[in-house]
Amino acid sequence: MKPTAMRRNRFFPVISGAVLGAVLVLGCAGKTEGEPREVSVELCDGETTLALAKRPETRAEGQVAADAMMASWRKKNPAGDWEQDVRSRHWLAPMHDNSDVLAAGQRDEHPGRFFSERDLLVWKRETETLVAAGARIFHSGDELGSTIAVSCDMCHPDAANTHPETYPKYQTQIGKSVLLRDMINWCLQHPVRAEPLAENDPRMRALEAYLYAQRSGTPLAYGKH
Amino acid sequence: MMHRCLRSAPLAFAALLLATRMEAQAADPSASFHGAASMRDQLAALEKLGLPAHALAAPQGIDAQAWTASIVPGNEPTAERVALGKRLYFDTLLSQDGTVACATCHDVTRGFTDQRPVSEGIGGKLGRRNAPTTLNAALLSEQFWDGRATTVEHQAGMPILNPIEMGAESEDEVVARVAALPDYRAAFQRAYGRAPSYADLRAAIGAFERTLIFLDAPFDRYLAGTGPLGEPERRGLVLFEGKARCAGCHPLNGASPLGTDNNYHNIGVAARDKDFEGLAKRALAALAEDASEHALDRLALATDMSELGRFVVTKNRADVGAFKTEQLRNVVLSAPYMHDGSLQTLWDVMDHYNKGGEDNPFLDGGIEALALTDAEIDDVVAFLFTLTDVRFAAENERALATQEARAAKQRPFKDEDLAMRRVLGFERRVLGAK
Amino acid sequence: MTKIPKIQGIETQYMAGRERLMRSLENLDRRVFLRVSAAVAAAAATRGVALAHSYQPVMVADAGTPFRFAYISDSHLYEKKLNDRFIRSLLRAVDDVNAMDPQPDFVLYGGDLAQLGQPAELDLGAQILRSLKAPLRMMVGEHDWYLDLGAKWRALFGKDIYSFDHKGVHFVVLNSVVEEDFWSARGLTPMQRMQTVAGLDNRSQSNFQVGAPQRAWLEQDLAPLANDAPVIVFSHSPLYHLYQGWNFWTIDAPEVQRILARFARVTVVHGHTHQLLTNRIGNIHFHGLLSTAWPWPYAPQGLPELTIQMNRPNPFNPQDGCGDGHVDVHADGLVDKVYDLWNRDSIVVPREYLASNGLQSRPKAANVASY
Repeated sequence: MKPTAMRRNRFFPVISGAVLGAVLVLGCAGKTEGEPREVSVELCDGETTLALAKRPETRAEGQVAADAMMASWRKKNPAGDWEQDVRSRHWLAPMHDNSDVLAAGQRDEHPGRFFSERDLLVWKRETETLVAAGARIFHSGDELGSTIAVSCDMCHPDAANTHPETYPKYQTQIGKSVLLRDMINWCLQHPVRAEPLAENDPRMRALEAYLYAQRSGTPLAYGKH
Repeated sequence: MMHRCLRSAPLAFAALLLATRMEAQAADPSASFHGAASMRDQLAALEKLGLPAHALAAPQGIDAQAWTASIVPGNEPTAERVALGKRLYFDTLLSQDGTVACATCHDVTRGFTDQRPVSEGIGGKLGRRNAPTTLNAALLSEQFWDGRATTVEHQAGMPILNPIEMGAESEDEVVARVAALPDYRAAFQRAYGRAPSYADLRAAIGAFERTLIFLDAPFDRYLAGTGPLGEPERRGLVLFEGKARCAGCHPLNGASPLGTDNNYHNIGVAARDKDFEGLAKRALAALAEDASEHALDRLALATDMSELGRFVVTKNRADVGAFKTEQLRNVVLSAPYMHDGSLQTLWDVMDHYNKGGEDNPFLDGGIEALALTDAEIDDVVAFLFTLTDVRFAAENERALATQEARAAKQRPFKDEDLAMRRVLGFERRVLGAK
Repeated sequence: MTKIPKIQGIETQYMAGRERLMRSLENLDRRVFLRVSAAVAAAAATRGVALAHSYQPVMVADAGTPFRFAYISDSHLYEKKLNDRFIRSLLRAVDDVNAMDPQPDFVLYGGDLAQLGQPAELDLGAQILRSLKAPLRMMVGEHDWYLDLGAKWRALFGKDIYSFDHKGVHFVVLNSVVEEDFWSARGLTPMQRMQTVAGLDNRSQSNFQVGAPQRAWLEQDLAPLANDAPVIVFSHSPLYHLYQGWNFWTIDAPEVQRILARFARVTVVHGHTHQLLTNRIGNIHFHGLLSTAWPWPYAPQGLPELTIQMNRPNPFNPQDGCGDGHVDVHADGLVDKVYDLWNRDSIVVPREYLASNGLQSRPKAANVASY
């Protein structure tokens, strides 16, 4: 989990909550002071502390302490768990159900040689996180870099009328046939009045992910107007 | 005065007609009127361009299907019709005083326009509009700055009769003048199989204009992968499609080679002091009295209501002060720019758009300040110079030198504060401050 | 020195008035603002701007004379230094309405004057609307409300809930954007609350409602009217259930409809949806208003069958799909609703269309291609 979280952190500097949580669960930042009988545990934010009767010894005891601290941190930072926050605010189309990939009993017989439930969970988490990141950026003039406080959702609630399934498509605004990312960049430059994004910019990738996800189940119809 | 005389005295009319015709016949083809090159020089220049004898097949760069669809049924541009149209295009006989031909304002040696702010007609009368080039005009959906004619065949008949352009009294009068010449009668017979008529006369001119297709520019060769485009020009193209917002109205690609959306926009040219509301009311009143094609034509060219643009055709409020998106092909050759010829160089044009035009209550919502830097403007202009057909390469170089020199000396429309959105257009308008 | 008399056209006079307005915007510090606020009230008194007035019992409205009122709605202003585009659009709407000849009897502002309910946004809007020549009737929208729960808006414009009579028609202005408290438990700041409500597709808020106290007031307000009295109701959100996810929805709309059901000629005009929207439920005719700021797409579900849809606008022109318009009230109290789209031909939804349940006088479809 840690590498994933750090990679995300590099891409999306705002995601401190997820990083904090991961770091704490892995136990790399909890500091304990004093003798048993009374222990003060400090979270890596340097502010949140927790008083314990004794030093946690089992994994379960550690987990309880970590959960308590994260709960208190979340209370102070309601927007800290950005992904949960995005999900509470915005409807995200459900991801395709891949459970048919699991053949009956395969996990028990040939562990490691077939996709497992764990694999499916990894796919789902990673994909949904990418899509949620797109939703977050889509709804934030600041993250889009808008100089006039305009975000995508102001014209496209729930990504309506973005019709990603129609690309490549002739866009009259650009005067040629373009890909979805070209139109995203056009919108950034003009209605949003921001700088266009590089094609491999993580924000561009997340925005594309969100738009495609929201139109899940729609047949491709390239060039459709 | 003279016209009133003519109407009341048919005999005198015929005599005068003959006199006019003889005068025109006697006109020296090397004579030059209204600043245009002589017809002899123009025809010599035309020969060098190597035009096709007919326009039945799609020229290079045009989709065959699109070409066929653009032809007016019944006026297929055969060699006979093109030849007749060519002769008429260069013939001052069509005008009232024998000094103005189509080629006067659409001069072969001046980019098929007159390179003047507004055109000069008979007796030195000035109109209100800049003459668009006849190059590629056949491919436009509508003609004139306000689209009051559709095809070139339709368009060609109107300036002949406009009192401040070629000033002919009537269609019949023009036809009589032409029909008096036996070789014209024969040419009409060959082209249309009948005696001269006004409909065939303007159709023949249109057929000739269909041979004026000039779409072989460095930009096309770059698109086709057969020619280079310099670094500034390529940067200019990216800006053209992006930050500079050009392509939104000037789509420029293989299927849409002219660079026009064939639509009408109020881009805030010379709109500063216009009382659009008052003009619109006057125009509606005038058109209620006489809504004929010729009334509209006179209103567009000879009155203040000219500034209303497309509105006089549609009477739609959204079209007040809106003019046609002109093609960008060979744009370098057709300076000065805009419907009133008020911008001298392409740098002026870019300065105009960069500041979001002159703000006015009817300004198109798509016109906004662009925040282009000087270097970016230079790049876009460099790109525009790649849209000139290779047959005009020498003219292109000359125009570049002229425009560059002029822009280096003066950029009267440049306004950094507006362009960079430090001051907003509507504030400037309502505050009246500079 | 001899003074040369100048004859000024209406547009020049109007521009001069606008110039004074814009000059005052330039120096909008607190002290000046207070002065300007006072000026608004004074201007309201002298120019007949209709601020909310108290409830007055009204007896049966007579069959009236036809008249016209204009509307401007959903301008979503930010401060000028942040966003010039929405201001430019509201100015264009004011230009349009001031150019109407003859002038409308009054102008309805349909709500969402501000984007984030900030005092500077509302002040700016109030000052721009002051340059309207016709009297102004204000309605509140959620973007005006949820920063300070209406304090600033009411200080500028008076009551958010009121009624009045005009040429035989009884008008009611509602505040339909009341939301259940979703913010206290979560400890949201006023700005967080405002931003939550400002997101159309933000599900972490409640839905709009008129609410029981206002419904009781409405019933009482309408009580003196006979069933054949013409009634026109202004509400910011549509008073029917269209699409809950975007708050194109008023929870207690069915209850409000029940209150209005006894009237033979009743029209509801609402903002919020930024699009052509037409509906009829029982005898109640519903019309949406255009926004000056941006058009919304149509909701994925719930679109009323009688709606003639607006095509997808061209984003190249930020004003496409936007506009303003007017309402022609006939002597019988039924209305023709006119959408003046800035980049397109106007679209008229005539009274016969709704009266015939869509069988007659179908409005022509949009004349501009979908982008």
